[in-house]
Amino acid sequence: MMFILPLMSILLGIEFFLVFDRVTTNYEEKLKANYSILVVTKKQMDEAKFKKIDSRIADAKRIERKKIAKDIAQGLGNTTGRDILNALPYFYSLHLNNYLDSEDTAEIEKKLLKDPWVKRVETFGESHSSKYNLFIFIKMLFWSFVALMSIVSLFLIVKQMEVWQMAHKERMRIMEIFGAPMLLRSAVLFRMGIVDAIVSALMTTIVFLSLKFYWADRSGIELLKERRDLLFESSDLLILISISLSIVIVAVMSVAIKSREVKE
Amino acid sequence: MSTNNVIATSRLTLAYDDGKKEIIKNASFRVGRGEFVFITGPSGSGKSTLLKSLYGALVPKSGSLVVGGFDMGNISHGRLQTLRSNMGIIFQDYKLINEWTVEKNVVLPLIIAGYSIDIQKTQAQKLLRHVKLSEHAERFPLELSGGEQQRVGVARALSRNPFLILADEPTGNLDEYSSNVIWDLMENACAQLGSTIVVVTHRIPTIFNIPYRHLIIENKGIYEVN
Repeated sequence: MMFILPLMSILLGIEFFLVFDRVTTNYEEKLKANYSILVVTKKQMDEAKFKKIDSRIADAKRIERKKIAKDIAQGLGNTTGRDILNALPYFYSLHLNNYLDSEDTAEIEKKLLKDPWVKRVETFGESHSSKYNLFIFIKMLFWSFVALMSIVSLFLIVKQMEVWQMAHKERMRIMEIFGAPMLLRSAVLFRMGIVDAIVSALMTTIVFLSLKFYWADRSGIELLKERRDLLFESSDLLILISISLSIVIVAVMSVAIKSREVKE
Repeated sequence: MSTNNVIATSRLTLAYDDGKKEIIKNASFRVGRGEFVFITGPSGSGKSTLLKSLYGALVPKSGSLVVGGFDMGNISHGRLQTLRSNMGIIFQDYKLINEWTVEKNVVLPLIIAGYSIDIQKTQAQKLLRHVKLSEHAERFPLELSGGEQQRVGVARALSRNPFLILADEPTGNLDEYSSNVIWDLMENACAQLGSTIVVVTHRIPTIFNIPYRHLIIENKGIYEVN
């Protein structure tokens, strides 16, 4: 039982890490998909020309001018839509290959402005980078917390190993004197450890399944409402069991090796 | 080594502290199949050290030591396990597993050898009857007296009919009555089972009913006493 708590805190840390990684990746994908640079040009341009200016530009979509011209014409009364259309520049929405930080978007903006046909570029960089930076900051804080939690848990595991060694050393030594192989000597510890590993993996799974099925909808976080699967995937259970079993096997083997009689 | 020898040493040197502190030097002796051997000597003469080397807890510094056909200077871990599982060892401090019942302690060598629960049970009953502890089968070692605990130790040593029984001061912590019971059990093991028995002790019992050999450790050497 004493081994379940440190194991569970490590597993919770790992699962939080997995969830956060999935959420971050998903969020980045969304940012990338929703992010575009608005370019105003004097003359009509095509996608190839934009890509030639900077290879990080994934595509360029022309924004339909007719509707803009019609809206303006309605407000001006005696001017026809055709006159306005002739006077209007061309508008393009550019998508990028990756989500780039403000320095990169500023560089693309510079390159675009060097082109004589480009009149104006709007990167909306500030609002996006501040959102993204906040997200990165939270992510970093979270990772630090998970790392700290793992270190504390490892200490607890080491302490538990010492307790095991104290409690089982004599029995393991006696069994060794009578010729018991290491697996038999540590069978009791393996049994206890494996049960603890499975219980802690299942308890961690229950915590995250509760988050997935009960908390996600009430969280008010749009991303989690849409993608509840990010909170727990079935492969996570396999990962958790493998990690907890590995920790247990390493811990029990270390205790068994340390408890070996010293051959003088 | 002749097939009749269970233990054979030649110019055996045993030492501690990376070979710096020699305890036994250039000792040569043989123990034949079915023999009962007492090894005596003053305190600190190396009796327990010699016994440790016989069950592989101490590697000889030099010379040769062959036990049950295994060269103890070059024995692998696996072979050492095989050798030990075919030996019986009795300790002065009993070395029983306190969290196991008396019955389970007695069949430890059978558990290690992978015998079925039924065989373990039958053998435990037989052995506990033999050492007159049947009524204590389900008790734990710390609930027994010293003499009773040592009888459990003897029963455990006999549980696989070992070819060799090593005993380190088996009566060192016992009163006269309990000591006599232990010596009786060991005499029977030698006479009836044909096991070779090597006992390290500081004093040979005054009444001993079977023939025995007496080796003495003196000035790092091992000598036969006629």
